[in-house]
Amino acid sequence: MSEAVVETRNLSKVYRDFWGRQKVRALKALDLEVRRGEIFGLLGPNGSGKTTTMKLLLGLLFPTGGEALVFGKPATDVRKNERIGYLPEESYLYRFLNAEETLDFYGRLFDMPAATRRERTKQLIDMVGLSNAKRRPLREYSKGMTRRIGLAQALINDPELIMLDEPTSGLDPIGTREIKDLILKLREQGKTVLLSSHLLADVQDVCDRIAILHHGELKELGRVDSLLTIGDETVVRAAGLSDAAKREIQAVIERHHGSLVSMGNPTTTLEELFLKIVHDSTARPGRRITGSGPGESN
Amino acid sequence: MVIDTELLPFFIWLPLALGSWLKVTGILCAVAILFSYLVAAVRNGPVRGAQLVGAGLRGGIADLVFLSPRRTFALARLAIQESLHRRVLVAFALFAVILLFATWYLDEATDNPARLYLSFVLTTTTYLVLLMALFLSVFSLPNDIANRTLYTISTKPVRPSELVLGRMLGFALVGTVLLTVMGAVSYVFVLRGLSHRHEILPQKVTSAGDSQAAGPTSGRTELAQNHHHDFQLDADGRGRTDVAQGHWHSVQVVRDGDRVTYEVGPPQGALTARVPIYGKLSFKDRTGTPTQKGYNVGNEWTYRSFIEGGTLSAAIWHFSGLQAEMFPNGLPIEMTIRVFRTHKGDISKGILGRLVLRNPETGLSAPTPFVAKEYSTDLQMIPLELTDDQGKKVKLFGDLVTPAGQLDIQMQCLELEQYFGMAQPDLYLRARDASFTTNFIKGYVGIWLQMLLVVGAGVMLSTFLNGAVAMLATFAMMLAGSFVTTIRQLAFGELPGGGPVEAAVRIFTQRNLTTKLEPSVTTQAINLFDEGFRGALKTLLAVLPDFTSLSDTDYVVHGFDIPGDMLLTHVVTTLAYLVPIFVAAFLFFRTREVAR
Ligand SMILES: Nc1ncnc2c1ncn2[C@@H]1O[C@H](COP(=O)(O)OP(=O)(O)OP(=O)(O)O)[C@@H](O)[C@H]1O
Ligand SMILES: [Mg+2]
Repeated sequence: MSEAVVETRNLSKVYRDFWGRQKVRALKALDLEVRRGEIFGLLGPNGSGKTTTMKLLLGLLFPTGGEALVFGKPATDVRKNERIGYLPEESYLYRFLNAEETLDFYGRLFDMPAATRRERTKQLIDMVGLSNAKRRPLREYSKGMTRRIGLAQALINDPELIMLDEPTSGLDPIGTREIKDLILKLREQGKTVLLSSHLLADVQDVCDRIAILHHGELKELGRVDSLLTIGDETVVRAAGLSDAAKREIQAVIERHHGSLVSMGNPTTTLEELFLKIVHDSTARPGRRITGSGPGESN
Repeated sequence: MVIDTELLPFFIWLPLALGSWLKVTGILCAVAILFSYLVAAVRNGPVRGAQLVGAGLRGGIADLVFLSPRRTFALARLAIQESLHRRVLVAFALFAVILLFATWYLDEATDNPARLYLSFVLTTTTYLVLLMALFLSVFSLPNDIANRTLYTISTKPVRPSELVLGRMLGFALVGTVLLTVMGAVSYVFVLRGLSHRHEILPQKVTSAGDSQAAGPTSGRTELAQNHHHDFQLDADGRGRTDVAQGHWHSVQVVRDGDRVTYEVGPPQGALTARVPIYGKLSFKDRTGTPTQKGYNVGNEWTYRSFIEGGTLSAAIWHFSGLQAEMFPNGLPIEMTIRVFRTHKGDISKGILGRLVLRNPETGLSAPTPFVAKEYSTDLQMIPLELTDDQGKKVKLFGDLVTPAGQLDIQMQCLELEQYFGMAQPDLYLRARDASFTTNFIKGYVGIWLQMLLVVGAGVMLSTFLNGAVAMLATFAMMLAGSFVTTIRQLAFGELPGGGPVEAAVRIFTQRNLTTKLEPSVTTQAINLFDEGFRGALKTLLAVLPDFTSLSDTDYVVHGFDIPGDMLLTHVVTTLAYLVPIFVAAFLFFRTREVAR
């Protein structure tokens, strides 16, 4: 089992108002582990605590209880930021800077020398496809363009761990595809990616493991492929059959005349799983025992 | 101009100031650590609390040690870009507009236009620059938190110390540039505003001799800027005008065949930076007995003491450290005398007085009579050779000034039942003049120091207050810092009427300020409360910067050189405030959740 890059132990967060009165219990005793080299997805309906978890891991919030560890150190340690890239929910960038100035500025914050900054800036702008708009101030950018420069900013330091809060929101289908390819490429380079999303198809395509949150509680945790497997059903996919053969398909299969293309367990879609969990959890509130799922057996 | 506190030489001041600085910052640190421990202990228990405070302190020190210049400058640059984006240049445009319209209402006919112009530009610059510094510094961090742009920055390896210092540096730099430009524009504005020439019509010139061709001539110039000058020319046709509105002109005859014209130079002496040598003042009463104070003629404000005319009453300034090289042309005594007339006398004439220069060791003395000019500064040039009371010739240096450089200058009023009033700085030796331009710059350095303090305090307060509240708090600090003298008097019970409760009691019972309250339990309670109030004020005084005193623009306006020691003192004082302000700012910021 590879080393844990992100680890939370009993992590909980209560938002309080100015007078210290409790407002929202956004996260309840979360235990998570993200390992080196994997793509980990945080799923959950709106307000379930995904962003809160990320902010705790980044040290933007201080935990009310428990621990958030990144690279084995408390999340409030600034030095971890050297190895992290973060794309916030919305791109919170200076609107009076243009794309080049933005990347140059964040490069400086990593204490990068000028030559490296120039090179990285050019490379990233090309990568996110903003070469034509690199001299325009960000205030003129469309939502998708803002998202792209946000992503470029998150990668400026060639980070080991990348946290992406809803990376595909606001992107067109091509952009979404590009981001997904990029995420997979990052994994090939040995990086760890932690992303949150409610676009389930995206998560299904790229994530190795997922955690599903609801009302600040962990509801499901495991490998995507095993989570979506239904054990007691079989599916057969066939091709090249005539109409007559189709009518006789049952018999044909029994007699092994058609060419058998595949045989295995059918999978549900992630959407179905997601809706089922949310439905179950609303019907029977409370903590669901996790870790016993099939995903934990790897 | 009133100089009420004596200036300590820098190197005598420094150890004293450093001592009290260490004491105050030490106490502040101790209080801060104790307080944060108490909070942490209540929240997390005594042991965990101690660990948390320890970790916080270690983190704070690491933030200082590992501070990266490149990151800090990147953040400073961002602060500058932000300022430009927030249209700081509007402040400059405003300044230009104010100057354009100022010429309409700056009255040229006052007896000292230079003072008017200088005080106008210096005040305008001060207000504009300080306001700008206040707005920039106070809204920056809260804006970044509200726009959440800080999320993206805080998740980079940026330390709170860099975040705070970068902002302070950036805004300070913006303020510096703005101040420099405004200073340069002001300088030109003052020079141009004061510049003028007078015409001299030949028919207004009279010759003392029999013909116009030779001999000393005198005359009067034409009006310019609402004044004219009388002038004297020597036999060579060279000379100068008298002083009007604080300046004079050189005049020269230009002969072109038979045509005689007069060339008048630009105004001189309006913009000065006098370097005065002050003496220690003591008095003699009407019987000639030495006292510390003169007579009070009924003013509530006892800054000036008075001497009585026609008696032995005198004011004596004791000078020391005078050397012959400092005064090659004689002893220039500049004085501003208040005259208090108990009867009108001859109102068109000044009151007669005399200055007696006296050797404090041998008692040898030489008198010089003078006529007191009311409401204006008078320059008496005492020659290097004078006659003593017996009519014998005496030398200024050699006979009157002691070898150690000591000299007493005694002033008397010669007319019965008239009074002269004076304070120590009212008579001084004008040894030399420093460069006005340098002094002008020194004046701007004072404003610069104030600006730095506003930027520092603004950023510091905005680390834990929201923009509007931080602005009010900074403004309150500036305001309280302008009343340090009054607060000090209140704190040490030097003002009549007592503390707030006692004063309130006096108002409601309609008692005057000086009658003692009769001793009773109530009075004791009142005193107890007021004592507590004074204690609070004393605590406040220990940390409150004396904001107005940092800027010495008064010196520039009144034409005095800002002493280098004083400027240095102010620079160090500002620094002494900025260091703890910076440390407090980033420590506050460390404890703050960025994503709230
Ligand atoms: N600053 C805050 N103050 C008070 N409550 C907050 C704050 N931020 C988040 N919350 C609450 O915490 C809970 C979790 O919010 P969070 O932003 O983590 O959800 P999320 O899973 O990211 O949702 P989404 O999918 O909409 O982004 C919500 O109930 C939200 O109202
Ligand atoms: Mg979210």
